[in-house]
Amino acid sequence: MTDTMLHVAGLNAGYGAVQVLHDIAFDVARGGVTTLIGANGAGKTTIMKVLAGLLAPMSGTVTFDGADLLRLASHDRVNGGVSLIPEGRMVFPGMSVEQNLRLGAIAPAARAGHDEALQDVFRRFPKLKERRAQLAGLLSGGEQQMLALGRGLMARPRLILMDEPTLGLAPVMVKQVFATIAELRAAGFTILLAEQNATVALELADRAYLLENGRIVQAGTGPELLGSDDVRRAYLGM
Amino acid sequence: MDTLLSGQLLFAALVSGSLYALVALGLNLVYGTLRLLNIAHGDLVMIGAYTAFGAFSLFHLPPVISVFLAAAVCAGLGWAVYEGLFRRLLANPTLAKRVEANSLILFYGISVILQNVVAMTFTASSRGYQYLDTVITWGGVSMTGNRLLTLIVASAVCFGTLLFLRHTLFGWSLRAVIERREAAQVVGVNLNRVQLITICAGFAAAGVAGTLVSMTEQITPFMGFPFTIVAFVVIIVGGLGNIGAGVLAGFCLGLVETYGIALTSPGYRSILIYGLFVAVLLIRPEGVFSKAVRS
Repeated sequence: MTDTMLHVAGLNAGYGAVQVLHDIAFDVARGGVTTLIGANGAGKTTIMKVLAGLLAPMSGTVTFDGADLLRLASHDRVNGGVSLIPEGRMVFPGMSVEQNLRLGAIAPAARAGHDEALQDVFRRFPKLKERRAQLAGLLSGGEQQMLALGRGLMARPRLILMDEPTLGLAPVMVKQVFATIAELRAAGFTILLAEQNATVALELADRAYLLENGRIVQAGTGPELLGSDDVRRAYLGM
Repeated sequence: MDTLLSGQLLFAALVSGSLYALVALGLNLVYGTLRLLNIAHGDLVMIGAYTAFGAFSLFHLPPVISVFLAAAVCAGLGWAVYEGLFRRLLANPTLAKRVEANSLILFYGISVILQNVVAMTFTASSRGYQYLDTVITWGGVSMTGNRLLTLIVASAVCFGTLLFLRHTLFGWSLRAVIERREAAQVVGVNLNRVQLITICAGFAAAGVAGTLVSMTEQITPFMGFPFTIVAFVVIIVGGLGNIGAGVLAGFCLGLVETYGIALTSPGYRSILIYGLFVAVLLIRPEGVFSKAVRS
């Protein structure tokens, strides 16, 4: 039996009267990459928002290491070890790279080890160290993605939620982001990855779920979904 | 020409500039972090002024002490307004979208209540007291002690706040909320706590400004509105939610007003202030000092 870290069941959510997610259920196993793939508008970001506490669901349960996650405010979720790297990076443009990173460790649980965490992020992303004094708004898209990743790592998460980390990046940077994700997995992090870039995401994933119009229509290991006719037809254009 | 170059005029400009900067600081903090349009802000200046006046006339407390009392009273009002009105509104995403427009009406109501409560308690007639009003001459510039104190305290609070925002983790988290509210939540900033502390601090700054005003001017329950207007002009000139630029804009408005009046006549005061306001809205609606950095 695999060790489940995050368990989602019967999740319905939306914006105002518009329901986006319908009866979503999935598990994230400890130590590994779980991926949610699906087209634009399938509901990936909505799931991430619910998990991070930015959107209250209509119904459903989410447990993280056995505890009810939905009862916690967003900052308490970060403090409890769930960290979101949001879609579109969302760095703080008027603050320096270093300030952005240090803000990442604002959760009380992360504050103590804050200097080592910063050195660790700088080791992982040397570019950020070079640019530590520069305003985050002046970084390139790829660098901002590195910064968003680094900022998320500063919180010392046990579960990293990555929402479309490769969106709008040049192919070279896309490669680098996936290399980083593989490194993080090797380092023992648990990752839930939402991606449009299905091929690479599935090659990397231990477990994968296919989303269509707010419903999970297929689940399996990465290679299983990669080999599935549905996935190939709909998302890989083969 | 001599008057224009005199230290006297510069001193007068700095005194009113520092006061404008301080009044606008509180409004800007509250607008930046909570997106609330507090048109009762000037009435909080009035509450601060009456607190200092009451403390002086009833308990003989000098303004240097009652300034803390005024700050506490206004911070308490901030707490009551946040917990009683806005906490739930801001927590609900649907209501939060409309809260900016609705806050204008809510604060209008608060403004009317504050003015009338004070008018009932202290009557509507103007009040004043004398404190540090002897003239001292220093380097050829004659000034009253209370104006010098106004300049010192208002500048200290403004620049102290800017240093706090620049160098403390809490200050950074406040700026994070101003820049990107949702991202601040994602990072783990306790939004509720930042909002509560900011509204209390913003209101307290108005209370401090009110205490300073009460030392040099006659006060009435209806003195607040001009301060609200000045504060809005300052933060729009500086750039909404841009705290440092707002302080700079406050001093600039003091300079424009004082030198403008010296060149023309006191009758032109409103024309100068509104003229600057309209000019900025036409030429640089995002604020004169706003940085172009946005990703």
